Amino acid sequence: MDIQNTQSQMRKGVLEFCILSIIQQGEVYPSDIVERMKAANLYILEGTLYPLLTRLKNAGYLTYRWVESNSGPPRKYFLMTEQGRTFYSELERTWNELADAVKALTAPPEETNVIETPNHNQ
Amino acid sequence: MKKVININFQGRVVPIEETAYDILKQYVESLRSFFANEEGCDEIINDIEGRIAELFAETLKKGSTCITDDNVNAIINSMGRPQDFEDDETKVQSQLGSTGGDQKQQQSSSSNTNESFADEKSRRLFRDENHKVFGGVCAGIANHFGIDRILVRVLFILGFGIAFIPYLILWVAIPSTASTVIGSARKRLFRNPDEKFIAGVCSGLGNYFGINAWIPRVLFLIPFLSLFTSWSHWGILNFPNFLNLSFSPGATLIYIILWLVLPEAKTTSEKLEMKGEKVDLNSIKNTIQQDMQGFGERAQQFGKEMGTKAQEIGVKLGEQGKQFSKEAGAVAGTAVRKTGTTFGDIIALIFKIIAYFILAVVLIAVVGALFGLGIAVTSLLPLKSYFIADGWQSILLWGTFIFFIWVPVIGIITWIVRRIAKIKSNSNLMRYTFVALWFIGLFCFIGLIASISNDFNYHNNPSESTLILTNPETDKLELKYISDNKYYFNNIFLHLEPFASIDEDTAYVRNINIRILKSDNDSFRVTMLKTAYGATKEDAEKRVVNMNFEINQKDSALLFDRGIPVTKTDKFRNQAIYVTVYVPVGKRIQVDGSLGWGSDVHIAFGNDMDYWDWKNDDNGYNWDDNKEYVMTEKGLKLTHPSDDDKTDENNSTDDTKQKLEDIQQQKQDLDKQEQDLKNSLQQDSAKYHYHQPADSNKTPVKPPAKETQLKVQAETSTGMLSSPAAMAQRFTL
Repeated sequence: MDIQNTQSQMRKGVLEFCILSIIQQGEVYPSDIVERMKAANLYILEGTLYPLLTRLKNAGYLTYRWVESNSGPPRKYFLMTEQGRTFYSELERTWNELADAVKALTAPPEETNVIETPNHNQ
Repeated sequence: MKKVININFQGRVVPIEETAYDILKQYVESLRSFFANEEGCDEIINDIEGRIAELFAETLKKGSTCITDDNVNAIINSMGRPQDFEDDETKVQSQLGSTGGDQKQQQSSSSNTNESFADEKSRRLFRDENHKVFGGVCAGIANHFGIDRILVRVLFILGFGIAFIPYLILWVAIPSTASTVIGSARKRLFRNPDEKFIAGVCSGLGNYFGINAWIPRVLFLIPFLSLFTSWSHWGILNFPNFLNLSFSPGATLIYIILWLVLPEAKTTSEKLEMKGEKVDLNSIKNTIQQDMQGFGERAQQFGKEMGTKAQEIGVKLGEQGKQFSKEAGAVAGTAVRKTGTTFGDIIALIFKIIAYFILAVVLIAVVGALFGLGIAVTSLLPLKSYFIADGWQSILLWGTFIFFIWVPVIGIITWIVRRIAKIKSNSNLMRYTFVALWFIGLFCFIGLIASISNDFNYHNNPSESTLILTNPETDKLELKYISDNKYYFNNIFLHLEPFASIDEDTAYVRNINIRILKSDNDSFRVTMLKTAYGATKEDAEKRVVNMNFEINQKDSALLFDRGIPVTKTDKFRNQAIYVTVYVPVGKRIQVDGSLGWGSDVHIAFGNDMDYWDWKNDDNGYNWDDNKEYVMTEKGLKLTHPSDDDKTDENNSTDDTKQKLEDIQQQKQDLDKQEQDLKNSLQQDSAKYHYHQPADSNKTPVKPPAKETQLKVQAETSTGMLSSPAAMAQRFTL
């Protein structure tokens, strides 16, 4: 059991949520997603991002639009569908619950009465 | 100085260095194989290519004249290589994130690559590119187990004779560390669960060698097909008997072993590894060529290292031994495969070596078998005119011969040669031509079989003829071939299987079956029956009439012609002769070894049922060659039941011979009586439920000795003992 593996497992869980939250704020170009995540100290390889976006798009959560670019081939901008928004709000709720639960659990012992089961709503 | 080429990349013309283009191409290819099973693979690749094109455009905009290796590498680093995604797309990020936020992406991703590479290196066995002397195998093993390189090398050198082949195998089997630098993953043999018939072994093999999965499948199937053909005694189909023998159990066994040994490719990364870098003869050749470069220098280096490190070895050995045992202890409890521990890898390695060995053997055997088949069939061609009718049948035979036999042989050999010589043709023309030709051959073959089968439709009405013997009252008859014939013996070097020998226009076949039966009077009698087949009844009858086969008596020898003549006009249509020798009681007969059991060439197409009636009808075949028999009331008896000293008697005088025979006759009778007694004893004890004492089972009762038997016989003077007497006899013993 090494630390890196655990860490990566934790990060992996929220990666999709983070990407969706960026797209949810408005139409976006993939390398912008990478930039913004980098800015937030979360790193992702573009080679990992594209398959993820395609998967989400095929699931119907995202759609895209071609935009002419002056510095190369036309760019693919991603935006969220209605279905995607529902999906995102579900994820958001779960995340909040999870965050609360983790906070409660990792907090000092006197606040133990706030414990919730995180898996309850999943 | 580098060559720059223009490529059309995502609809843009991009000037790029040729080497950079190669790297790019390899990278895209590796992505393609990584995402091969992903839904929307093309789209992902397209998106990534689009992004790369954009980055290229930016680079060119900044004033670069062309895209260089560095540019491509930088872009690949920022996009990530398949093995970076492999560990579930996250290991990379975790490392980056945990080391704080002040890193530049460029740096971090490259450090990732190194880290994951180092990680890789410790988990898997690689040939060490940096510390190699020969192929880097020893260094790789040393790295893997954390032992000193020198130690491994010394061990390898000490066991040179034995370790040489494992070294070669490891050299080929273990990927070089160099292969991990470029984006493509290394290749491993897996069972492919996606395209399987039984267990996915063949499909996995196909992936591994970059060939169609049907090639290994067919190779595994051939032995089974040949099994089906072996029902006919001598058919064209099952000519290469060695193929049958060596392959039918072998192939199944190999398949089962591979099934057991190979893991199934379950995860994407395993599937990628399954399809990864091509391991073909080409890459093997390349590996060896590359590795041999600079061998001299490295050898010198090795010599130096040897000198300085020799003294340390003793100390290190102890340490490493401790470390190794510690490791092994730690490993024992954990899941071997998942953690990729030392122990697990050793097992995997052994399996891999076995798998490689089997593969090599299969490949060599297949090529050898094909050659053997081709040559064997070619060597039979001179016999064609004795077997095949002119006209259509002949054309079909040539079609079969050229297209069905030699085309695949040449095709496969060509393929191997082209692989080695690195010739690549993009057109499938040649492949399809070969396949088409082979199909033509197949049709010829089927036509030929049908046509020949038609020629074997009818057989003649068998009728026996009695031979006139010059001296039927002789004491002994010896059956043998006429010996004063220089064509008599088979050519051992090139054995023309169906025919005993060939004259200018006549082949001789020894389909001679000898039956020995009891004569009803006191003289020898010999009958002969000729059979043959034909397309029509008349055809068969005509063939029998033309069959000249003579048997002549000379003193006590019955001389057979050297074989049934088959002429080019008559053709071979299962001509056979059944000779029945009727031996009077008390007279002797011996069949010479050369005559013995006929070679029995018989081609059956399943439409001649009554053939077997002539083969198995009676007890006329209860004899062995080169042994003298005497005819008794109850059938043939060996004159000398024991095999020893039978040649000596032939030299003795008639008197002693007669005496000996009498004694032997007595002996035989006595033996028979003994047997009868034993039988009756057994029956009796069964009837009376006579129980033997428990311990008598352990010490089996010996059969009565000869002398006692004689004595008893003398006492009762009847020669037959009643049962109680026999029992009494037994217990007095």
